[in-house]
Amino acid sequence: MSALVIADRQFQSRLFVGTGKFASASVMAEALRAAGTEMVTVALRRVDIRNPADDMLAAIDRSRYQLLPNTSGARDAAEAVRLARLARAASGIHWIKLEVTPDPYYLLPDGTETLKAAETLVREGFTVLPYIHADPVLAKRLQEVGCAAVMPLASPIGSNQGLRTRDCISIILEQASVPVVVDAGLGAPSHAAEAMEMGADAVLVNTAIATASDPVRMAAAFRQAVEAGRSAYEAGLPPRSTAAQASSPLTGFLRDD
Amino acid sequence: MSWTLKINGMLQSFEPSPELSTLGDLLEHLQIEQTAVVAEVDGQIVLRQDFDKTPLRDGQSIELIRFVGGG
Repeated sequence: MSALVIADRQFQSRLFVGTGKFASASVMAEALRAAGTEMVTVALRRVDIRNPADDMLAAIDRSRYQLLPNTSGARDAAEAVRLARLARAASGIHWIKLEVTPDPYYLLPDGTETLKAAETLVREGFTVLPYIHADPVLAKRLQEVGCAAVMPLASPIGSNQGLRTRDCISIILEQASVPVVVDAGLGAPSHAAEAMEMGADAVLVNTAIATASDPVRMAAAFRQAVEAGRSAYEAGLPPRSTAAQASSPLTGFLRDD
Repeated sequence: MSWTLKINGMLQSFEPSPELSTLGDLLEHLQIEQTAVVAEVDGQIVLRQDFDKTPLRDGQSIELIRFVGGG
């Protein structure tokens, strides 16, 4: 399997894992290991000053995983830029998963605000990976302003619906010159494999792993699916046809007509 | 005279003292482990290494932020 390069970094694993919703920090740490991931997302929130003991970052081995802080919770460009700056100050990491989701019901990203924030953050030296709807035009615009990758959604965050945006993602894949990471809504390893078979450079999975009955086994299953899907893509899938194409010879039948 | 600070959106009163005069002191007072925290004081980001150099003042708005699990 070929390596993935985003900005100046090379990744052997094409499975990014989100760290939300895990029942405990130890399950999360074990799931990250089983996923074989090298890139994990984290969010920024206010410290609970009444209960400040909880520090999940301690459970993430920073020598093993590149942290990808997100701007979740941002409702517009200004809030996203503020969160990105805080994330950089907190971690020293200039990578940011840019997400601007004003609507709390579907959590669909606001493309206009995302583009605005991306321009600012790229100027400030961030490596920007924007979470977007599967909009090929927006993906191009974000690429043009200097984003290091684009992260189109498969279906709404945490919905486990799978690749509902398949046709538009394939246009993005056809046109993009930066890596395409399919993010959000991948609810089963088969969904991840499907995205990888199409030529996605990577996928990001959180809910499907974290909320599985056995998150560690599910993480391993996603790892296998991502590897299988990528290998199939690199092997070159054969063309589809409407009619049957016989696999066995069409000569030498045991009949005389 | 006590000071009122807005910390993470909540108003909190403190008696200023030599032991409670900087942002670093405040974190210690609140029993917050500094290693994973970043702060914003009146909209300006304060890095961890500057916590002890950042004086507290009456009426400040302070945000204390850390990483949590997220996707």
